[in-house]
Amino acid sequence: MRKIAIYGKGGIGKSTTTQNTVAALAEMGKKVMVVGCDPKADSTRLLLNGLAQRTVLDTLREEGEDVELDDILKPGFKNSLCTESGGPEPGVGCAGRGIITSINLLEQLGAYEESQELDYTFYDVLGDVVCGGFAMPIREGKAQEIYIVVSGEMMAMYAANNICKGIVKYAEAGGVRLGGLICNSRKTDREDELIIELAKKLGTQMIHFVPRHNDVQRAEINKKTVIDWNPTCEQADEYRALATKIDQNQLFVVPKPLAIEELEALLMEFGLAA
Amino acid sequence: MIEHRPDAETAKKELVAKYPSKVGKKRGNQIQINHVAEDGTVPMVLANSRTAPGIISQRGCTYAGCKGVVLGPTRDIVNITHGPIGCGFYSWLTRRNMTDAGADGENYMMYCFSTDMHEQEIVFGGEKKLEAAIQEAYDIFQPKAISIFSTCPVGLIGDDVHAVARRMKEKLGINVFGFSCEGYKGVSQSAGHHIANNQLFRHIVGLDDEIRGSKKFRVNLLGEYNIGGDAFVIEDLLKRCGFELVATFSGNSTYGQFANSQTADLNMVMCHRSINYVAEMMEKKYGIPWIKVNFVGAGASAKSLRKMAAYFEDKELMERTEAVIAEEMVKVEASRKRHAARCEGKTAMIFVGGSRAHHYQELFTELGMKTVAAGYEFAHRDDYEGRDVLPTIKVDADSRNIEEIHVEKDEAKYRNDLSARKAELEAKGYTFADYKGMMPEMDSGSLVIDDINSWETEKLIEMWKPDVFCAGIKEKYVIQKMGVACKQLHNYDVGGPYNGFAGAINFYKDIDMRVNSPVWHLTKAPWQTVEEDVAVAEPVPA
Amino acid sequence: MTLLRHTPKGEIKPRENLVVNPAKTCQPIGAMYAALGIHGCLPHSHGSQGCCSYHRSTLTRHYKDPVMASTSSFTEGTAVFGGQSNLLAAFETIFDVYDPAVIAVHTTCLSETIGDDIPQITKKAIDDGKVPEGKVVFHANTPSYVGTHITGYANMVEGMVKYLTKSTGTKGEHAAVIPGWVEPADMRELKRIVTALGVEHVLFPDTDGVFDAPMTGKHVFYPKGGAKIEDIARAGDAKVSFALGPIATRAASEKLTALHGVEGEVLDLPIGLSATDRFVDAIRKAYGIEVAEEITNERGKLVDLITDMEQYLWGKKVAIFGDPDQLIALTEFLQTLGMQVRHVVTGTEGNFITKRLTEINPEANVKVGGDMFLLHQWMKNEPVDLLIGNTYGKYMARDEDVPFLRFGFPILDRQGHQHFPTVGYMGGIRLVEKILELLMDRIDRDAEEPRFELQM
Repeated sequence: MRKIAIYGKGGIGKSTTTQNTVAALAEMGKKVMVVGCDPKADSTRLLLNGLAQRTVLDTLREEGEDVELDDILKPGFKNSLCTESGGPEPGVGCAGRGIITSINLLEQLGAYEESQELDYTFYDVLGDVVCGGFAMPIREGKAQEIYIVVSGEMMAMYAANNICKGIVKYAEAGGVRLGGLICNSRKTDREDELIIELAKKLGTQMIHFVPRHNDVQRAEINKKTVIDWNPTCEQADEYRALATKIDQNQLFVVPKPLAIEELEALLMEFGLAA
Repeated sequence: MIEHRPDAETAKKELVAKYPSKVGKKRGNQIQINHVAEDGTVPMVLANSRTAPGIISQRGCTYAGCKGVVLGPTRDIVNITHGPIGCGFYSWLTRRNMTDAGADGENYMMYCFSTDMHEQEIVFGGEKKLEAAIQEAYDIFQPKAISIFSTCPVGLIGDDVHAVARRMKEKLGINVFGFSCEGYKGVSQSAGHHIANNQLFRHIVGLDDEIRGSKKFRVNLLGEYNIGGDAFVIEDLLKRCGFELVATFSGNSTYGQFANSQTADLNMVMCHRSINYVAEMMEKKYGIPWIKVNFVGAGASAKSLRKMAAYFEDKELMERTEAVIAEEMVKVEASRKRHAARCEGKTAMIFVGGSRAHHYQELFTELGMKTVAAGYEFAHRDDYEGRDVLPTIKVDADSRNIEEIHVEKDEAKYRNDLSARKAELEAKGYTFADYKGMMPEMDSGSLVIDDINSWETEKLIEMWKPDVFCAGIKEKYVIQKMGVACKQLHNYDVGGPYNGFAGAINFYKDIDMRVNSPVWHLTKAPWQTVEEDVAVAEPVPA
Repeated sequence: MTLLRHTPKGEIKPRENLVVNPAKTCQPIGAMYAALGIHGCLPHSHGSQGCCSYHRSTLTRHYKDPVMASTSSFTEGTAVFGGQSNLLAAFETIFDVYDPAVIAVHTTCLSETIGDDIPQITKKAIDDGKVPEGKVVFHANTPSYVGTHITGYANMVEGMVKYLTKSTGTKGEHAAVIPGWVEPADMRELKRIVTALGVEHVLFPDTDGVFDAPMTGKHVFYPKGGAKIEDIARAGDAKVSFALGPIATRAASEKLTALHGVEGEVLDLPIGLSATDRFVDAIRKAYGIEVAEEITNERGKLVDLITDMEQYLWGKKVAIFGDPDQLIALTEFLQTLGMQVRHVVTGTEGNFITKRLTEINPEANVKVGGDMFLLHQWMKNEPVDLLIGNTYGKYMARDEDVPFLRFGFPILDRQGHQHFPTVGYMGGIRLVEKILELLMDRIDRDAEEPRFELQM
């Protein structure tokens, strides 16, 4: 089983990208589990066709020790399995601890065991690696590969660079590696070139350039992934291409995060910073 | 006289050499060879500084200092620990604070109250549970006050205990207040003392202005926690001399005493480290002067009582005080002579607390014993070197985290009469707010070690072979396994009281027992090589 | 004068949020206790220094013996930036100053909430050369807000299996014995029993000789006792494992099966007649041996004592609180003695515990995840003849004027528990002796003059 964590700046389209990619992998016949690691619990909505599932933490709170795997793992599009960690409302408690708690529970309940016959586990992680809890998915024995969703916008690239710093820390101890950057296009100038260059400097690749298309939003309004909503549209093929590239990816690296000056120089070069 | 004693410089070098260089360098500043210069100045000791990770330290945490030390001895406040169960459990009845609530007074000291946070409160926040717990406590016990103590995770997840306290105070109509005393704050218990002082002052002191009892000679005793009944001894002495004890912070105390404490004429500070903040704030706001006292040691007790009586400049009070001292000293001397004869010339080391390592030297001196090394667990530089160094103490990141509350003069309640008396007395040479610290009273050449750890403790015992080593429960059995008597000065080995004259007599007897016990000669079986002489056990005096 | 004067009789008001007088404490102390059952091991508490201080103090008060453990001494800065640098510095200092063979790291509520990853930090320490060759560092996660001290013990013992057991590929004939949280004397007694049965074994953790070290004039920093790391390793090749006390040891047993295929028997703590019978019989069956006469004789002596003294025990009402494995075995034994267990409270939660306790005592008031305040209210509403529990019970016992047997953890006011076992048949004899002494002293104290008896 391959375990993959998707990171990226908040609002960059991680959940959308993850679910559409998972839909493509599922369509290819792969068995995939998605673990949403965001207190908002919106990482699996499209795969579940809008079904708001009860989160691991809510279930734990209500059921106590009698939680079973079926209570928290729901079947989604094409046999994919979906679970949401959940977490506190904004401003209270500790969302990071929530992620630790729910991943521990999934392990205890055997969600990762061979009997589940999983080909892939995807962790969709909130925003940045703000504290220890948000690094839980990339600790030893958990996600082995990371993809960072990025765009040509400055803050998205800053975030990607920061995430790389987090990866380095865990790469030293465990086996986690960066698999590449996924460019979720915002249609900024020379976006693909910029991300290819950023990837190069980080020592990785831009694994795919996902063009911006309204079909993504249309599918979302229908509470579906693009492939589920309209398997024949062009955007569906983009996700299929991304899924295939991930499936066949061989380039796994310990990234080399850029110094801030270096990052700014890059942005200057591409005319983003004045 | 001190046969085993090696050269202090060599000893220090040997202690420090063991550490990684950075740690060793720091310890070098925390270990000093005392030297009292002619002008009374002493070497600077690095104190109130972080313990290096990995070191087996004596120290505890901020929560322990706040909940355990300062608030623990008050009997009629329901103290709720907000956190996982451990912190409340470990601070439950473990400090031997005694209290006398009478036949049917309120007394919650035998109870442990906790919100017992589970993982779900850590993730989703614990304020709701805290609020409900306060309600439940109120429904069952109807106390006059409820307080909340924050533990480590509370600070991390950001529960606002003070907001909860405000809401519940309004709802229940009783005093409810919180302490942000998370364990990770500060570098030792000391930060917790300060936090406790702040909140006591902010939420209780000054709430009740009614003068009860005698209108004359009203005093507060600050920094006496009634371990083993110490405060009972002082209460008795003060009563016999004619003083009116308004409040003790906080041995054998009540909420009402704190609320009324601003009606006193004088504050007496016993444990300077843990309570000087309240003394300072009370002087600023209410004009009540404070003096440093010490009731450990017969001589020190007499001196303290005389100083108190002198403050009031009342002939009858002074006479009664002298009569009490005279009466007590007869008993003390009889006991002292008997035990000193058996203890004289022996050596002691004292490593505890923030005042005790200083105060207890008095008792050893009375027994004819020499304190060859001493240090505190959680004191600051002023406790070593005296308050004169206060302006030169650097505030580091760990101290800066601890709130200094801003206090202003209360125009209505300020005691101008007392500040006038203070000025008058000062002109005559009477000293206020004066603490000279431990080191000026120790011999030059003795070792002063801040925040001693297990490695240094063992090494010191090996090198010096003192006759008694005073420390706490964690050190006790290490020391005794080495064949050296340990006297615990936190829980007194379930002995005491050691305060005042009666306490001095107890201490003489206990130290005699410790250092002259026949058991120290029984370590080896007859068939084991006996290197040291097997002394014939001396008879224990009646 | 009443000590717990605010504990009301009569109506028991519901309490969902406030624990009063807990019958439990937090995980790390259990991890510390277990880790000290490895020879040459220094437990390390990754959190604020107060945790370590509290745990050491409590264990020291219980044993009146040295308890050595180190701490990461977190400050506010550590809480924000994570505990990596503290733990790395700690490793360096510990190996320089205290030179342990093993460091057993456990976490705390603080390091768990900030999410420190101990294996990652340990790996870094090894890579940076901060862990000398041949030294072992392992860890257990022990968040204080999950479970209790028993959970902490269970997690650390599971950690021992995970990190320290090895399989060579060749199964041996020896057994692995994994005791629950019992006293050093009990660990010693378990070894004696298994040896008497003729079964070669490794027992871990093993606090025999750790908290009951002799006075020699020297402080031996790492006492002679404790399971040796090479012996724990051999558990991976064991023919079978016997885990004693399901709450404290099931996790370790299952881990041993999962990692090395060691067949595991999870049994109750062998406290009292029937639980000891099951333990001895399990070994007999696993090894196809005849039970040694020595052991069968001990059993006979226990039965003999019960028959001789039945009249003093029969029908006596008992209230008991403590840790779940102990409660399960002990309440069963009390029933064997003809006593009526009326009130049972443990602070450790779990449906399994509730099920076992109510099976054994269907008539009793049972609260799993309860506290001593509740127990005291029950005792006021339905008085008992004997109270059994840790030292904190003495306040209730005095208030209600009930004989009190100190049993469990912690015992802060009496000694002997580290020296004299309560497991096995001989331990059963000691328990009966202690109970009889309490009940019969009471008879002697209360008997009216004409009825005061010489023989009893």
